[in-house]
Amino acid sequence: MIRRHPACPARFLARVLALVLLLCASQMAAHAGLAIALNSADGTISLIDTDTYKVTGKINVCKEPHHLMPTPDDKSLIVACAASNQLVFFDPLTGQEQKRVRDISDPYHLGFSPNRKWFVATSLRLDRVDIYDPADFRLIARLPAPKAPSHLAFDDASQFVFVTLQDSNEVMAISLPTQKIAWVMPVAATPAGIVMSPDNRYLLVASMGEGVVEVIEWRARRSVRKVATATAAHNLQPKGDGRHFYVSNRSIDGSISLLDTQTMSVVEKYDVPGGPDDMMVRADGKELWATARFARKVQVVDLVSKQLKLSIPVGSSPHGVFFLNHAGLR
Amino acid sequence: MIDALTEAFVHLQGWMFDRLVQPPLLALGLGSHLEMAFDGIQFFLAGVLQISFAYLLLRPLEAWRPVEVWPDRRAARVDVLYSLLDRLGIVPLAVFALLAPLFAAIDGWFRLHDIIPPQLEDLLPALETRPLLCFLVYLLLLDFAEYWRHRLSHVLRWWWALHAIHHSQRRMTLWTDSRNHLLEDLIGGFWFASIALLIGVPPGQFIGLLLVVKTVENLAHVNARLSFGSLGERLLVSPRYHRWHHALELPAGDRYRHGCNFAVLLPVWDQLFGTQYRGQELPPCGLAGDPLPPDAASSGFWRQQREGLQAFAAALWSRGSATDGQRESRHAR
Repeated sequence: MIRRHPACPARFLARVLALVLLLCASQMAAHAGLAIALNSADGTISLIDTDTYKVTGKINVCKEPHHLMPTPDDKSLIVACAASNQLVFFDPLTGQEQKRVRDISDPYHLGFSPNRKWFVATSLRLDRVDIYDPADFRLIARLPAPKAPSHLAFDDASQFVFVTLQDSNEVMAISLPTQKIAWVMPVAATPAGIVMSPDNRYLLVASMGEGVVEVIEWRARRSVRKVATATAAHNLQPKGDGRHFYVSNRSIDGSISLLDTQTMSVVEKYDVPGGPDDMMVRADGKELWATARFARKVQVVDLVSKQLKLSIPVGSSPHGVFFLNHAGLR
Repeated sequence: MIDALTEAFVHLQGWMFDRLVQPPLLALGLGSHLEMAFDGIQFFLAGVLQISFAYLLLRPLEAWRPVEVWPDRRAARVDVLYSLLDRLGIVPLAVFALLAPLFAAIDGWFRLHDIIPPQLEDLLPALETRPLLCFLVYLLLLDFAEYWRHRLSHVLRWWWALHAIHHSQRRMTLWTDSRNHLLEDLIGGFWFASIALLIGVPPGQFIGLLLVVKTVENLAHVNARLSFGSLGERLLVSPRYHRWHHALELPAGDRYRHGCNFAVLLPVWDQLFGTQYRGQELPPCGLAGDPLPPDAASSGFWRQQREGLQAFAAALWSRGSATDGQRESRHAR
């Protein structure tokens, strides 16, 4: 005969509470450090634990997601679904989908202006730049931008958005207050990534065709220097110290260069095979994560030893990576 | 094992891209086509794999249980050339190069006028996050479109003049599927790509869909006694089913005046639209004459291309449907 202990409500409640706390703790631990990698050809995102470097999940998102961008309050991560004409919002803490904004025509690269008044999306395939109201994603202006508008950057005062035109080898400046094209200037072949220098004086443009970062004094519309990095220089990511940028050189042998914006020279270079593309730096400055576009991997570079630390297998054509615990985006 | 194979495939794709494709594209200022070129290499490698698997699996089957035994396979050699052009991406690349700018211009015009062309997922949002289900729905719709493309190629006189090259082969083998006039490849590619773009097939799935269609088509033309069973032959186009489509003698009856068994993957379309013929024998294949010369079965690639164009031009200048032509070139039973 089995004897049961007399029921004790207090003990029972304590056990339930402990169980709930345990579950919450395990949930928090599971998402203590979440990285989200975007796989363009798969139409998925991979969820990666930044502590263990393990892929903890894969979520189907849409057709041809191309770039990702956090909202200014960091409460959402926006994925640009080019072929699905949508923006899909994810919680960057958990990887859970939050909402979908439809009828956003062919979004490729995205950006919020520093004053948060404008949300801009390029359409690489259809030669167009769209300006939206970030409050409700209402279309404000649609501008033709031949050919192949790729990445974008803003000036500090949010007066302009600058767009690389990949096929016509140009940079286009669009006035945000008037939503008109202000000027277009020629740059080195096949420009892709573009960022504003920390002093707001220069545009830094990665040229895939020439393997350089071109330094443009944008107010004078003048190219002042070409800094050689390596074949297929593609994208730039701030180190977070207000001075240096990492430059991904997207070839199979692949490398990432460290550009000093005060001397405008390459000061370090790391071998990162597989076509490094989009990058993100850990807040403590010890790791650089990069999507290896042609190897279906996220590469983690140890910035202390300056060596490739490990490769995390993700989906096909990984094109973006993000985690909240980063060193800064500007 | 699968991981190792995937890794090898990805490595080879990356190497070809980096060493063979990226340098000339960058030199020519075509950097924005890099990503598409990367997909193109995947298409090429998938074609190599598909054609290798077809050869390794289906060729022994043809040797083991042939429907027809021939003293040699010389007449099939030209079909191997057609297959290489088709499967290794040369014909699809030409179709793509011609069509991509046109589609981009049309799509761009729509968007600039605030029109976002609707997609399948707009009607069925559940497909958005279910890629496998989405793939199957795309396959179903594209197969339906392929049935009608194929049927029209027998009904329209000018189209039949081109398609007759495919039917002129009397020694049907696994390679015969790709034996098509290049102009017909272009028209067929335009048809397939238009429907795919209209329903919103993404590039990654497009390659997968083509591979499925091409693999079944290889199988359907194989010179082998292969039964799918009573149920299987109702579900998927089998070699026996498709052999009747290539039969030298059309089945009796007015509904078969343009031919029978036009389905590419699923016989259900023939059943629904009254063009199904489920003969149990394995008939001889080919054409008896018009619109091509009687020796078209054994002629070479360039001659077939020239004669196809001549027949096409002649058909354009004359009136009527392909019925008369098929009556002349395929005997009614």
